[in-house]
Amino acid sequence: MKQFKILFSIAMLFLAISSAGAQDVTTVTMWYPDGSSAECRADIIAEGFNAIDPAVHLDIVLQANTWDATRVAVVGGGGPDIVRTPGPSFVYEMASSGLILPLDSFADEMGWRDTFFPWALDLGLVDGELYSLSDELETLIMYYNKTLFAANGWTPPETMDELIALAEEIEAAGVTVFSHGNADWRPTNEWFVGEFMTQIAGPHNVYKALTGQIPWTDESMVEAMETLDMMMERGWFGGGVDFYVTNTFDTNLAALGSGEAAMNIEGTWRFGNINDFFGEAADNDNEWDWVSVPSKTGEDLFTIGMGNTSSINASSAHPQEAAQVLTYYFSPEVQAELLAACGKGPAPVHLAEDAMTDIDPRIARAYADLSAANADDRYGYTTWTFWPPRSDVYIYEEIERVWYDEITVMEYLEGLDELFAEELAAGDIPPIPAR
Amino acid sequence: MALLANKRPATFAERLSDPGWRNRCLRNVIVPWLFILPLLLIHVVVVAVPAVQGVYMSLTDWTGFREANFIGLENYRVLFFEDEAFAEGIRNNLSWMSFFLTVPFILALFCSSVLAQIKRFGMVYRSLLFIPYVLASVVTATIWRNLLSPRKGIGAALADIGIAGLDIPWLGRQETALMSIAFIDNWHFWGFLMILFLAAMQAIPPALYDAAKIDGANRWQEWRHVTLPGIRPIVLFMFMMVAIWSFLAWDYIWILTQGGPAGSSDVIATHLYRNAFLRSLSGYGAAQGVVISIFAGFIIMIFVMLRRRGWDI
Repeated sequence: MKQFKILFSIAMLFLAISSAGAQDVTTVTMWYPDGSSAECRADIIAEGFNAIDPAVHLDIVLQANTWDATRVAVVGGGGPDIVRTPGPSFVYEMASSGLILPLDSFADEMGWRDTFFPWALDLGLVDGELYSLSDELETLIMYYNKTLFAANGWTPPETMDELIALAEEIEAAGVTVFSHGNADWRPTNEWFVGEFMTQIAGPHNVYKALTGQIPWTDESMVEAMETLDMMMERGWFGGGVDFYVTNTFDTNLAALGSGEAAMNIEGTWRFGNINDFFGEAADNDNEWDWVSVPSKTGEDLFTIGMGNTSSINASSAHPQEAAQVLTYYFSPEVQAELLAACGKGPAPVHLAEDAMTDIDPRIARAYADLSAANADDRYGYTTWTFWPPRSDVYIYEEIERVWYDEITVMEYLEGLDELFAEELAAGDIPPIPAR
Repeated sequence: MALLANKRPATFAERLSDPGWRNRCLRNVIVPWLFILPLLLIHVVVVAVPAVQGVYMSLTDWTGFREANFIGLENYRVLFFEDEAFAEGIRNNLSWMSFFLTVPFILALFCSSVLAQIKRFGMVYRSLLFIPYVLASVVTATIWRNLLSPRKGIGAALADIGIAGLDIPWLGRQETALMSIAFIDNWHFWGFLMILFLAAMQAIPPALYDAAKIDGANRWQEWRHVTLPGIRPIVLFMFMMVAIWSFLAWDYIWILTQGGPAGSSDVIATHLYRNAFLRSLSGYGAAQGVVISIFAGFIIMIFVMLRRRGWDI
């Protein structure tokens, strides 16, 4: 009995201490997608924030299929305090359903309007109110095996015509032109559709089509898609469409690193692990570099993409504290640290001038060029950021029917035009910054 | 009259006043229901209510976020009269079902019959053939994706030693993609069927085999007239289950091709997932879910009818 009393007293004391602690600390939850550098990111964010204010604790939960879990939980009235979506087009649905909070008052109070580029904040607007903060600024670039190019006397192309001429040379040398494939991620298809639209039809025409001023069947779009189809048909993408759909990312990058393939159009997110396929890490002597994807006119154009967005859950009990977390997370210092330590694409915020000094100069050049392109009106559009959900799925699924000769380019674009018109009429288009 | 009055059925109030009746009622009716009540409540909460909600959602334009508006049978009209991808999905589901109602059954019947005779190392063989069933689908799919790779898989290795022809992109060709996935899923699945059939065979009384031997039956006749009738109920039951499961096929297809290339491996479930979660057409996706349930109900109905006609199911 005596032992029981002692144990009971200890248990009650422990309970009292823990409940007292729990009353003092506010916990903010954030679900973060599990991935190659997720732990690195989560450690920097959580450890950094939790060291600042002992009264607010940030709890980051890493999980696969974060978006599926988040949307189900949030629609059911639960979920994390900070809601992350895969892009601005998903924010519209959540905002119009009252599932996330408007952020304008926090933006004013916490200085977000000075932190972010103005166009980037505009991406989070729904009916004139700010609902999300865009994260992970990304673009598509053309990686190439620099050593292979030097050995063959090839120079990186600047125009689409030069690219086609070079591809013929590469093909004649028995090298795969582009190490492309979609076995791991079928939406890979949309990278090329969006990129060719911007680079061949031009960003201004894409803008007009996105805002309903011209149809997707415009001559310039037809030319862009026919060029893409020609490249696929000639086997330049991973050895032909049959092989393209079975090539995994690792296969693609290993081929690029070893010199079996010459080039690869991919996102800046690849900076995170491209070094695993070159040099000592991959047991070869090759080096990589990148250039902007060649355009029809020769102008350096960069499509803008956002990897995800962050908002505050309408059912959060601690919106003020959640806003504090967002302020910390999107601060230029933390974004610079995440870029340098984990290879994460920075949010569209004003980074300090010395933010890029500790990182690979090739990576620094990419973000500097992207920033310059934004300032000089040389930016285009990635499909996953600026197209509405149904059109987006159509773009990457139906293009395969073109590649497998089931439908023509014109039929593909007519289908897109019809679907896009429906979504445009329903107001489902994400905000398109005016240019 | 007095006799008739004595035969009058007792009223409920009279029964209630009878302690014996009360005890019997408690023991035979109330206690069993109390035992089953927790399970019943869970079933209502996680199955019955969502099922009813699903049927209602199939009659709305719900996006998964916004308020749902009732649109009657519009989703079903589009599904059956306009959606070509859905029709393609049904065709692929039927091909899938044909494959799974033949190949794994033949394999499982053959191997279980052979293994039933093996006494030495029998457990080792059974375990080896059953192991794929306990592997996670994502593991099995990843292994086979690599094995079927035209660049680094079995076909490529054979081509390197001069045996060409198998180094083709099995998952990349429209004509082979669906059946390649079915082959992979079957590699994982058929061991389960085999174990079920083997267990059923071991429950057949040995006296029946002895009698067959006395009658001069050979091995084939023993199998045909003793083994097969002995395991028929489980074979037919699994026929029904596999037919139903064929309409739920999703994981291997989604992991390996996501319905591609160009929709050639799309089935109803992948189409449903795409609509509900990627296109924000949750109401439309719910309609597809209801259709899958109707198909399953139809299959069950066929088996119920056969049972009523005396089939040993």
